[in-house]
Amino acid sequence: MAQFNLPPNSRVQKGKTFAAPAGAKNVRRFEIYRYDPDSGENPRMDKFDIDLAECGPMILDAMLKIKDEVDPTLTFRRSCREGICGSCAMNIDGTNTLACTLAIEDIKGDVTINPLPHLAVVKDLVPDLTHFYAQYASIKPWLQTRTPAPPDSERLQSKEEQELINTPSACILCACCSTSCPSYWWNSDRYLGPSALLATYRWLVDSRDEATGERLDELEDPFRLYRCHTIMNCTYACPKDLNPAKAIAEIKKMLVERRL
Amino acid sequence: MAHSDRPLSPHLAIYRWKISNTLSIIHRMTGVALSFGALALVSWLLSILAGQGYYSLVNDLFDSFIGRFALFGWTFCFFYHLSNGIRHMCWDVGKGFDRLQAQQSGILVLAVALILTVGLWAIVLAG
Repeated sequence: MAQFNLPPNSRVQKGKTFAAPAGAKNVRRFEIYRYDPDSGENPRMDKFDIDLAECGPMILDAMLKIKDEVDPTLTFRRSCREGICGSCAMNIDGTNTLACTLAIEDIKGDVTINPLPHLAVVKDLVPDLTHFYAQYASIKPWLQTRTPAPPDSERLQSKEEQELINTPSACILCACCSTSCPSYWWNSDRYLGPSALLATYRWLVDSRDEATGERLDELEDPFRLYRCHTIMNCTYACPKDLNPAKAIAEIKKMLVERRL
Repeated sequence: MAHSDRPLSPHLAIYRWKISNTLSIIHRMTGVALSFGALALVSWLLSILAGQGYYSLVNDLFDSFIGRFALFGWTFCFFYHLSNGIRHMCWDVGKGFDRLQAQQSGILVLAVALILTVGLWAIVLAG
C-alpha cells in the first residue's frame, strides 16, 4: 500500500536563514533541503538570500555561490555544468530537472530545492541511487548477439535503423524521470521505472540486438512494466526532452504484437 | 537495509501539480466513485424486484437534493472516465505522447466531460 506521509525521521523542519549581504540589489531566496547524517536531527529547510547581481544565471551557479561564500557544508552532486553528466538532478520548484540547465529567471518567486523524490537521503541533496543503478544493470544494457559478427566488418546499421536508437540513447541516467513517477515511488521495489524501461526500449529497437525475445520475456510481469499508468510525469520531467512514456507504450505494443 | 535510518526525501507533498498528473489522479478517483455508482445502480434495479414500496423509496432517495447531487457527480465521473479512457486507448496504440499533445488532449477531455455532463442534465431537467 502506498505510504503518503513521510516517516517520522524524514519530516522536514524549519532551518536557518542566511541573509543577503548589505547593499544587495537583486535578492532572491533559495530554500534548500538540508540533512546532516552526523547530527541525528531531522532534515530541515534552510533559507539563503542571494544577490543575483553577483551570481551566474543558472540554479547551479547560485548553489555553487552558496557553497563557496555562505555555507561550505551544502552538499550536492555536480560535474559537467552543461546537462550531459546528469549529476545535478534534483527537484527544483516542484519538478525534477538538472540544476545546471535551469535558469534562475525561469522560476518565479522563491526557489525551492529538494533532493530527487522518494529516495533515501545520504546528505543534503545527495540521494542514494544504488537501487536505481541496479535496475539499469538488470535490463542488461549491452548488445546481445547469437550470430557471429561479419568476418570483415562491424555489425552495420542503416541510417533509418540508427535513427531508432538515436533518441533513447541520449539518456544520461540522471533519474529525473523515475523519481518523478508516483508509480515508481510506491512500487520501485518491483517496478523498473521509466528510466530503465527507456533503456530497455533502446535495446529492443536496436537492429543488431538478437535478444529481443528474452528482453520482452523479462517484462512479462505484473510489476516490472505494467505499473506504468501513463501519468506522464516522466516525459515532462526529462531534461533531455526524451519521452519515456512513449517508449513504455511502444514496449507494451511489442508485447501484444508478438502474441498475434 | 544497511542505512534504513536515512530519511526518505519528500515526494507527493512537494511535486508540482501539472495537467498531466492531475488528470491522472482524477481518472483514478472517478473510477472509484463509479464503482460506488454501480452499487447505487444495482440497488435501484434490485428495488424493482423487491416491490413497489422499495422502488418508490429508492426513487425518492435519488430524487432528494443529496441524491441528485450524487447523480450529477456520477454523471461527470462517467463522462470523464469515458473520455479519458478513450485518451488512454490512443496512448495504448502509441499516439499523443508529445508534451504539447498530451496537454491539449487533457484539456479537451476535461471540456468534453463537462459539456456532456451539463448537456445531459439540461435535457433531463427540461424533459
